[in-house]
Amino acid sequence: MFYSVVLLSIFGILNLFLGFLKSRAWLLPVTLLFLATALVVTLTDWNKSLFFWNYMMSTDNVSVAFATIIIVSAMLILPLSRFYFPNAAAPVPEYYAILLFSVVGAILMVTYENIIMLFLGLETLSIAMYILAGSDKRNPRSHEAALKYFLMGAFATGILLFGVAMLYGATGTFNLSGLAQYVRTTLVNGASPMLYLGLTLVLIGILFKLSVAPFHFWTPDVYDGTPTLFTAFMATVVKTAGFAALYKILSVSFTGIYSVWWITLAATSVLTLLIGNITAVYQQSFKRMLAYSSISHAGYLLIAVTAMGQTSQSSILFYSLAYTLATITSFAVLILVNENRAGESFSAFNGLARHNPFLAFALTVAMCSLAGIPLTGGFFGKFYIFINALEKGLLFLLVVAVLMSAVGIYYYFRVVIAMYMRGSDDNAVADRIIVPKSYAAVLAITTFLTILLGVAPDLLVRYF
Amino acid sequence: MQQYLPSDYLPIIVQLVLALGFVATTMLATNYIIPKIFRNRVHGKVKDDTWECGIEPQGDARTPISIKYFLTAILFVLFDVEIIFLYPWAVNFRSLGWLGFAEMIVFMTLLMAGFFYVIRKGVLNWD
Repeated sequence: MFYSVVLLSIFGILNLFLGFLKSRAWLLPVTLLFLATALVVTLTDWNKSLFFWNYMMSTDNVSVAFATIIIVSAMLILPLSRFYFPNAAAPVPEYYAILLFSVVGAILMVTYENIIMLFLGLETLSIAMYILAGSDKRNPRSHEAALKYFLMGAFATGILLFGVAMLYGATGTFNLSGLAQYVRTTLVNGASPMLYLGLTLVLIGILFKLSVAPFHFWTPDVYDGTPTLFTAFMATVVKTAGFAALYKILSVSFTGIYSVWWITLAATSVLTLLIGNITAVYQQSFKRMLAYSSISHAGYLLIAVTAMGQTSQSSILFYSLAYTLATITSFAVLILVNENRAGESFSAFNGLARHNPFLAFALTVAMCSLAGIPLTGGFFGKFYIFINALEKGLLFLLVVAVLMSAVGIYYYFRVVIAMYMRGSDDNAVADRIIVPKSYAAVLAITTFLTILLGVAPDLLVRYF
Repeated sequence: MQQYLPSDYLPIIVQLVLALGFVATTMLATNYIIPKIFRNRVHGKVKDDTWECGIEPQGDARTPISIKYFLTAILFVLFDVEIIFLYPWAVNFRSLGWLGFAEMIVFMTLLMAGFFYVIRKGVLNWD
């Protein structure tokens, strides 16, 4: 993991210089090659338990798996940029470089062993995202997204740092194992209130980045205004890395005071599920619906964190993967529909099935997966998380989650109904969308993997 | 771990009180006491004007300014910060040894890569 961080940083800088070449044809393949190299290097750490940089980072199978998800989703999102920037002057090499740097941040967030490293990773990822959110320079909505994300994100970072300072004040260490040791001894001696305050502030900082209610207000506007390509990145990579980080700090350091924080997480989880799902019902824009859907999925993932059992880790992993694949499919189809039919509302999808059966099928599979219909990855993702909640006896969480999944089916299927049952209104809309090869490849891979995870989840789960 | 008592932080409070006291005193003095002494000679069209080196102010402050000034300023900050890292290294050159030298080479390589990028991008071309 050490080498993949170093390599990706160097590759990012190289990417900047690739921009000086006359031809841009090599840019995308080379960037994909960079990510593939990083992926291979990451996978060599499988079944090794290592510490790097004086216990700043640690590697185990779970962090390797999370890093793999992150790199693979970056590799699936990058090909979508093929025809995304019609303007020849668009600084595409810079975008790719920033994406590579943000992957570095995400990897730091899943492998940290020291809270300073968590902060560095979170900032590397967030600052990259602030820039990408505002990358559509001619569009005021993109400015709005970047400004909102930056202001709120900077505040959340401040709160996180304040929490880290409190934790340091209470325990005298930044190390996760050091914190764990302090927590264990304080169960006998009585803990300093600073510890609880610090933990709460750190949780607020991380939960903000995960767009968990009540810290979710930025999400719809930012997701809506950000160029769709980068929204896809935001909704998948940031969320996966954030949940890996949240689970790691809670499971390694704070299991000793589970009774203190579980109720907070359970309450935010219920709130997130209610707000995310019920507000999503009222959306007219597919993109905003996906933003609320990402809030609601944060709620489901939070249940697994709250349950904190033997298998929580593997269910978070499985759920993140299933959610990532389905979300990439939805955003890829959204990009195509938006560019060819000029609209992000549900009605833009009317009659898509007749002209583009493949796109409609891929999007239907993705929606089924997000809604948790059997034979898709999302079903088993929810299944494992619900089992976690059941094992821990969190029945009320389970009831809310099941009810809200039922609500989810309603709004996810609106787009499916629009595609299959509504005819297109005017002739301009009826034109067939020509799917570029890169999009077709990405959609084929994500759809295949989604179904594979739904048919044979054991392929992944048996490793953890 | 060394233990600190709340009383150890007393100098900070004293400093805070002094700073706030200075602000409060000067504001009170300029707004209430001095006008009482000098009567009508304090306010006026010219006296309330912005004072900038004696040149008469013109127009609004929110006028568009070329992005080049901003970029140059940012780059200046970048190289200024670089100096902050170089000075301590130069002072401790012997004790840091070859490891320190290698680390500084890495740092300078990254910095120069950025510098090269900036030049190739034409940020420093003024025309």
